[in-house]
Amino acid sequence: MLNAERKPVTGKKVQLMATCLCDAIYADVAKATVEVLEHAGCTIDFPEGQTCCGQPAFNGGDWTAARKVVRHAVRTFTGGDPVILPSGSCAAMMFHGASLAFEHEPDLAEVEALGRRTWELMDFLVNGLGVTSWPGRFPAKIALHRACHTRGTGSIAATLTLLRSIQGVEVVEFGEVEQCCGFGGTFSVSFPNVSTAMGDLKLEHIRAAKPDLLASVDMSCMMHLSGRAAHEGHPIKTMHVAQVLRDAMKNT
Amino acid sequence: MSSDRDTILTSVRAALAPLKDRAALPDWDRELVHVRTIQPATDLWALFAERLKLVNGTPLTAVSELVALLEKNNWRRGYCDPALWPQFKDAFPAGIKIETTYDRTRVDDYDFGITAAAGAIAETGTLVLTDAGTSSRLAALAPWVHVAVLRREQIHADISAALAALPNDPNIIWVTGPSKTADVEGILIEGVHGPGVQVALLV
Amino acid sequence: MAKQLIDQFAAALPADKRASVYQSTKSTHEKRTKMLFDQFAEPNRLRSLAGGIKQHVLEHLDTLLPEVEAKLQANGAKVHWAATAEAACAAVLGIMQARGATKMVKAKTMVSEEIELAHFLEKHGIEALETDLGEFIVQIDHDHPSHIVRPIIHKNRREIATSFEKHGLGAYNDDPQTITRRAREFLRQKYLQADVGLTGANFVSVESGRLVLVTNEGNSRFSLAAPKVHIALVGIEKLVPRDRDLGLLLNLLARSATAQQLTVYTEFISGPKSATQPDGPEEMHVIFVDNGRSEVLASECREILRCIRCGACMNVCPVYRQASGHAYRTVYPGPVGAVLSPLLAGKKFPELADLPKASSLCGACNEVCPVDIPIPDLLLRLRDKGKREGAPLAAAGTPPMGAWALLATQPTAWKAALFGGKIINYLPTKLLPIPPLRAWEDTRDLPEWKGGEFRKWMKGRGKS
Repeated sequence: MLNAERKPVTGKKVQLMATCLCDAIYADVAKATVEVLEHAGCTIDFPEGQTCCGQPAFNGGDWTAARKVVRHAVRTFTGGDPVILPSGSCAAMMFHGASLAFEHEPDLAEVEALGRRTWELMDFLVNGLGVTSWPGRFPAKIALHRACHTRGTGSIAATLTLLRSIQGVEVVEFGEVEQCCGFGGTFSVSFPNVSTAMGDLKLEHIRAAKPDLLASVDMSCMMHLSGRAAHEGHPIKTMHVAQVLRDAMKNT
Repeated sequence: MSSDRDTILTSVRAALAPLKDRAALPDWDRELVHVRTIQPATDLWALFAERLKLVNGTPLTAVSELVALLEKNNWRRGYCDPALWPQFKDAFPAGIKIETTYDRTRVDDYDFGITAAAGAIAETGTLVLTDAGTSSRLAALAPWVHVAVLRREQIHADISAALAALPNDPNIIWVTGPSKTADVEGILIEGVHGPGVQVALLV
Repeated sequence: MAKQLIDQFAAALPADKRASVYQSTKSTHEKRTKMLFDQFAEPNRLRSLAGGIKQHVLEHLDTLLPEVEAKLQANGAKVHWAATAEAACAAVLGIMQARGATKMVKAKTMVSEEIELAHFLEKHGIEALETDLGEFIVQIDHDHPSHIVRPIIHKNRREIATSFEKHGLGAYNDDPQTITRRAREFLRQKYLQADVGLTGANFVSVESGRLVLVTNEGNSRFSLAAPKVHIALVGIEKLVPRDRDLGLLLNLLARSATAQQLTVYTEFISGPKSATQPDGPEEMHVIFVDNGRSEVLASECREILRCIRCGACMNVCPVYRQASGHAYRTVYPGPVGAVLSPLLAGKKFPELADLPKASSLCGACNEVCPVDIPIPDLLLRLRDKGKREGAPLAAAGTPPMGAWALLATQPTAWKAALFGGKIINYLPTKLLPIPPLRAWEDTRDLPEWKGGEFRKWMKGRGKS
């Protein structure tokens, strides 16, 4: 597991890193994250100074720029409480990518310390807090997209545990689940042809399973896939799993 | 070439010098590569034969079966290891012509070649040939049919056992079924450069 | 802002080629995965152990190389060293010329492709014939392999049949069986006439000094049965410590490469033929080739030298599947090539600095790698290198990040930008001259900007 070395969770005070994508576009996903965490008994601190995890620059190859942003995150998220993100990819940036970018930096230890208390939301609920079932009803056939940056982590198994515990949820399988949707951050604009072709393959597999909606723990993949589907004139419904959990618990 | 040797070893040493720790050699248990879909066998020949069939090989348990196979396919000209021929010749009809010297100027004149196996691996359906035990490398390779003659006690259970028992021989070959390719559109074709039919004959 | 070269190549690739690459790679990947997980209790542990064994080898090459040299010499092989591609080619030529040899049959070896050996020998009047069916077809077509295990994954049977007809290998017939038989008939005469058989080595055991070669067609075996001289070109990274470690590596290699339990021919060669054997080489030469490897060993990407050339990473790679192997412009395509090729290029790194960008960093390559190479991490390190060295090919298409980083370290400016970004909801963005935005919008719709909305909501909750 990529993030095996984690600080054990002792209390229920958490810090929320909303991610830049939710900050700018998917406001409701961040709201749902807050409501879900609160339902699980957490007290949430939202550090106002937060911006981004640094991943766009890191993946784009500009590690100097990425380190500036990571250092800002280290300064912003102080203390020892778990940092929760509604994104597998930003979480992986904090607990894996940032350590790579700081290999030869004097402040590597601080960066790694932040990484050890960073959790993707579903992983935190199940493997951090020990939640194994989720209340409420959500009658829908859901296709769960396996966001690539949850590979090697407990996020997907955790997500499935929670989704399957909700009354009315049916998780439908589809072909080539291990394949990437084609987003890949800046890859989506520097390799637009390949990125789009990958998205089309993913959509083809998903549509064949005839789900009511497509869900993920990463809105970046959803932005790419729903943007592509809409562009083609056949929109699909996408949700973050946190939104499914929030809607379910409000429907008891 | 000694200067290239020095150049290479010098740069390798320089490359490794800055490493604070060097990776230790992990030990591993051969149980880890146990194929769990295969039941432990008491009869290694039976398991070997079953696995050989899965790779389109032909296990036979009697010389008469071999003769029947050759006759059925009209494979009438072949080579046999001179050390093996005395024990087979009574079973072979006159219509099948056997040479005990392989003539490399006439490779296409041989339908089959019979040579001795040095062992086998049950788990994979593999025949083990050695340089010392094979009377002619070409005779075991160039004809359309290769017959490897095997004794029951020569069969190893699995790859790890066969590796532990690798004989001191300059050229050991593990043969797992007929020669094959899937280079053209992924379609499986047997008999590319080597045999199209691989027989294991138990004696 | 130009699109990346590999993306342009993918866009221009004919649909039927893309379909055949996609179908073959997908099918091999799926069979590989099923086989590993059905047959082994802990396939991922095996990958990690195999990676550990290879990493150990890399980090002990300084002692293992002289050790294996001594072993090979004791076995009766002659050991040569070649620091560069030129030296390796010269070493082969030297051995041949000293014996008046003019004809070589070649088994499939990636290192010979890397040093362009066949081309070099032909210039010196030596016939160097590829014997692997796919490589043979590549050679007569003056083409390049596009996959390290399936060299002609990009070709269909009709192209091959046309080519065979053109080269006097029989009237047009596109039946794969006929194509294979014709190659068999043609090549076996070549083996018998050849003076030298050239092979690579998949592994070399330091413990016993055995070269291990795996093939399915039997061409390497024929190359070691007919000619009188055997030359093996071996990358210095190919060592394994003990014979028993081959039990792990062979099991993983065959399954990862072609979804086989074991490759048809696995050969253990430790010297010239024995005295009683009528067929086979009387001399064995092993040429250890560096050609940039020790530089890779010195880099922070040394894990790439664990590679055992199975091709599983390219089979699973979504970019390879769309772009095909030729898009990578080098001998090693796909994820492994995107790391290895720019590194082996040495000073010419900038010419291949775009390759590490050819990945969505999805991590599938690492997940299938039989020696657990952290390919995405290595791609990232090379992206950093490309940026630091200012390689234009690496920069193409990636939006500049300096201004963004400035914004992302100043919370007040960040919040203002979040709010101000709403303007894109009202602008005709399709007309804006912002290349990344255009590249997105050409094929995908933009979502609605809701910058600052969550922060407002969060603050509001605090007050109630």
